[in-house]
Amino acid sequence: MIKADFSQPQRQSKVGVLVMFFYTLQKSLRALWPMLVIWVFKFDEVNKLYLAFGTVAVIVLVGFVSYLKYLNFTFFLDEENQEFIVTEGILNKSKTTIQLNKIQQVNINQSLIQKFVGVYALDVDTAGSSKKEGSIKAISHELALELKTRLLENEGKLIDTDSETAQSALAEAHPEEHPFIKISFITLLKVGITSNYLRSFGLLILFVSTIYENISNFTEGDVLEEQSLEHYIDGTSIFKGILMLVAFLFLIVLIINLVRVVFKYFDYKIAKQKGSLLLSYGLLNTKSTIIKPEKVQITTITRNYFQKKMDILEIKIKQATSGEPEEKKSAIEIPGCSETERDQILKLLFKSIPEKGVQLQPNFRKLVFSIFTTIMIPLSLYFAFANWIEPQAFEFIYLVPVYIVFIGLVLYFGFRNYRLFISDNFIIKQSGAWDVDHEIIEPMKIQAITTSQLFWHKKADIGSIILHTAGGNVAFQLGDFTRIKRYVNLWLYEIETSDSNWM
Amino acid sequence: MENFTNTTIDTTQLPRFEEVQFSKLHPDYWKVMLINTAITFLILGVAIGFVFYFNEGIRDFAVYFGVGFGILVGLTIVFSRIGFQKRGFAFREHDVLFQSGVIATKTIVIPYNRVQHVALHEGLVSRYFGLAKVEIFTAGGSSSDIEIPGIEKEQAENIKQLLMGKIQKQL
Repeated sequence: MIKADFSQPQRQSKVGVLVMFFYTLQKSLRALWPMLVIWVFKFDEVNKLYLAFGTVAVIVLVGFVSYLKYLNFTFFLDEENQEFIVTEGILNKSKTTIQLNKIQQVNINQSLIQKFVGVYALDVDTAGSSKKEGSIKAISHELALELKTRLLENEGKLIDTDSETAQSALAEAHPEEHPFIKISFITLLKVGITSNYLRSFGLLILFVSTIYENISNFTEGDVLEEQSLEHYIDGTSIFKGILMLVAFLFLIVLIINLVRVVFKYFDYKIAKQKGSLLLSYGLLNTKSTIIKPEKVQITTITRNYFQKKMDILEIKIKQATSGEPEEKKSAIEIPGCSETERDQILKLLFKSIPEKGVQLQPNFRKLVFSIFTTIMIPLSLYFAFANWIEPQAFEFIYLVPVYIVFIGLVLYFGFRNYRLFISDNFIIKQSGAWDVDHEIIEPMKIQAITTSQLFWHKKADIGSIILHTAGGNVAFQLGDFTRIKRYVNLWLYEIETSDSNWM
Repeated sequence: MENFTNTTIDTTQLPRFEEVQFSKLHPDYWKVMLINTAITFLILGVAIGFVFYFNEGIRDFAVYFGVGFGILVGLTIVFSRIGFQKRGFAFREHDVLFQSGVIATKTIVIPYNRVQHVALHEGLVSRYFGLAKVEIFTAGGSSSDIEIPGIEKEQAENIKQLLMGKIQKQL
């Protein structure tokens, strides 16, 4: 390959103006959408000439701004100081300098717009801050690969794997060459109907409430007026109504889940490259990421009852980051693996399949305490409220046993699944009532250890432990404190006597 | 890998972190805590005072508020005293320990070869008493960092030097 010259400040691909244009348009539409809605609703009243005029003006303005953005965006590689420098901004100029040895990841992605135009985005990720620092929005594929290689070259020198990173960088764009795991469409459907009910439900609530709020803002008044609502409820029996609502919500959640999973993970491929895992997935926005085993901090394997029956499970991998808000973002998810595929991935990450080892279980007080906080307190609040403030609340008293049974079951299974398994090379924390998580860490990845004990637990000899890693914390509460302390001493000894790298 | 051995470790013979003797914070730091508490409550008190001055309707409750405020101040002082007494730090050969907590006793241990960097911080009041705070950071985020307040400036510098030396050796 011809070595491209990055030593001079250069602009993005020329077609990048188009990408910039769409992005700016998207942004301004997002900002202006209330106005658009007014236009749509009151179309007749607004002078059509104004409308046409306004639209043209906005497009011209956006075009102009994006051209200026394009002109002012440059990036280059300072070989002398080993820095990657990005300058951008029209009025507020900003200059981002990234030291090459601080670079953690370089991702090449393609969004829908970029796919149309035929360019790629290149994001540079460092450990130092919570956001993506360097982000180039439009760059040709060859140039992106070349730049990625050059950016990672330096790191390669440091950890003594020279051309390895360069090669993997090149291979990343073509993981389809020899993927060892492919997640089929059927599997994605299975994942969609069996996972993340809560998350989809949350999304649904958010979606509905935003729409409701916006509509009521525009029509200046509640769309669902109380009277009409009461009428509606009177018509059918309340119980039937609730049942139908629940069934309807469940159906919507399922559909949302399915669509989300398929869009996000369509055509999921995992390939091996010199000990690293290369992932690529996505229907509209194709994403590709690289997982280096030495950077993996916490590996979580999640599975629920349905998924166990269907032999699928989800793997979440957290790599080294700094700053808490980033934690969530940096978790890489592999949905719908079978058990054999899981073992293959684990072998690649840890060189062996983590065994469970010695088991630590929580004291019964953990269960008592969670019953107290999630059943006793809410129920006494409810009864107090119904008794003294609003007697009408007693109408819902038949929900109390339902609540107790449901939460009770969740707490019981949560308690039964709450375990810490310790073996020579792995610490595995099992938790969860329905979705059972197994969080796997290696003792060598521990950054610091916190132990804590409430003073009234001294006699019972129970206490908690938090293992801090660069990818988040793993906590185990109310276990046998003497044994916990013994393991802490052992882990400290292991960490302090070896110089093995945690990253 | 040449010097690699793999003998069994007798876990009962390992040095125990729970038996470490912790050094207490400097007695002057208690004064610093008192002054800081006083300043906070003074500002709060003045703010509440203004509310009562301009709002005649709630002036009848002023006595209850005063008593409540007094109890709050008292409790805060008692708890900070216990908290002050329970805080302690220790530097072992290979790691640093910090203990704290009023209701729960919390001990955090950071091995030197996991320390990212060390900082020295002097607060306004602390500086007057010649005290400083040593901050020890790891890659594990803010929950796994140690802040040891109430150390004499000179000693704090020494601690920082010691830690820097330990980190340098690792690299």
